[in-house]
Amino acid sequence: MKILVADDEALSRRLLEKTLARAGYEVISVENGKQALEELCKLEGPRLALLDWIMPELDGPEVCRAIRTRSERSYVYLVLLTSKGSKEETVLGLESGADDYLTKPFNAEELRARLRVGERILLLEDRLVEAAENMRFRATHDQLTSLLNRGAVLDLLTRELHRSRREQKTTVILLGDIDHFKRVNDTFGHVVGDEVLVETANRLLSAVRSYDFVGRYGGEEFLVVLNSCDPAFARTRAEEIRKSISGREIQTAKGPLTLTMSFGVLLSSEWALKTIEELLHETDIALYDAKAAGRNCLRIAKPATKPEPTSESVPHIARIKG
Amino acid sequence: MNNSEEALPEPIWNVAELLERVDQDQELLRDLLNIFKEDFPRTIRSLESAVAMEDLKNCARLSHTLKGMLGSLGATRAASAAARLDLLACSAETASLKQALDALKREAADLLPELDAYMAEVRR
Repeated sequence: MKILVADDEALSRRLLEKTLARAGYEVISVENGKQALEELCKLEGPRLALLDWIMPELDGPEVCRAIRTRSERSYVYLVLLTSKGSKEETVLGLESGADDYLTKPFNAEELRARLRVGERILLLEDRLVEAAENMRFRATHDQLTSLLNRGAVLDLLTRELHRSRREQKTTVILLGDIDHFKRVNDTFGHVVGDEVLVETANRLLSAVRSYDFVGRYGGEEFLVVLNSCDPAFARTRAEEIRKSISGREIQTAKGPLTLTMSFGVLLSSEWALKTIEELLHETDIALYDAKAAGRNCLRIAKPATKPEPTSESVPHIARIKG
Repeated sequence: MNNSEEALPEPIWNVAELLERVDQDQELLRDLLNIFKEDFPRTIRSLESAVAMEDLKNCARLSHTLKGMLGSLGATRAASAAARLDLLACSAETASLKQALDALKREAADLLPELDAYMAEVRR
């Protein structure tokens, strides 16, 4: 574990460095408070620090105060080390944000014991951060497939639609549904059904770029969002995604299964001022059209009427019926 | 009062206590002595001129540094003398500074031969 030693006096610094190195720490030592603050603010910087009280540039309590004002970073356990020893000074040191206080000349055993306390606190903090991250992940991801859940993917889609309008780009929405999924569940059971869902999720994720989104929209429904997609390639991209499912068998506990997916596809740039709900509704209708057309295919949602009758950009593909 | 201060029970240099603090690491001890031999004379010279100029701020800073250095080395008596000087400078007792500095120098005069003797001994 990394530890910072800040002391302007060379002899005490050397003593600390050696004592701490012997205790197994990776020691970073500096000569003043300013350097101490720089080291502690580095990414992956030390999270344990021994600070001398009186130092040039910034003194120990000033470093403590500066560290405590940045709340967004992970906790740094701060120990003030000094030959000061009065009660008032102890209080002053702790109130500046130090966690502990040691008087020089320090006893090596006591120092190590106090640092172990610091490590316990840091471990506790790590666990809390991890727990919070797990909760955040669970709140935004589907438990079975680990894809974004419906709420999270819709949030991202909303943001992306705003952005694509602002930047005059196209967001492509794909709403996909596994064909005859109920038969899989009824014939092979839910375990195999789950295997199919997980493999479908993995294939959809592999079929898109790292900055596209894939979410589980409902039971066997998936929402894929292609960000800043060239409209000329939207159909090709969507076909590739469809074929990533139908192209090869899915291995399950009950043997390989051939499955297909139907997709409704929508290009945001063709539907300028619609709300996200309206766009999803149109995509859903296109998905039903695809289902009605025999499944394992995709349909692109097209506005039924052109927004400006005089414009030359009349959609030349009439709406395909189911 | 002066008498009781001069009859301090602490040793000039508590090498046993220092060795315990450094886990009997002779090499580290030698390192510390070398740092001391280099830093102490320089710091005390700066302190002398700060006292001569009645520069209280630097006087406090330098005597504090010496207090830490001497304390870390286990030079208990000299550390106490530096602490006294630190205290006087912080409470702006300019009149007593010179006397306190002399006391510190006397302690240093006792201490340095002990350190040299130890270094000569371990070198053999």
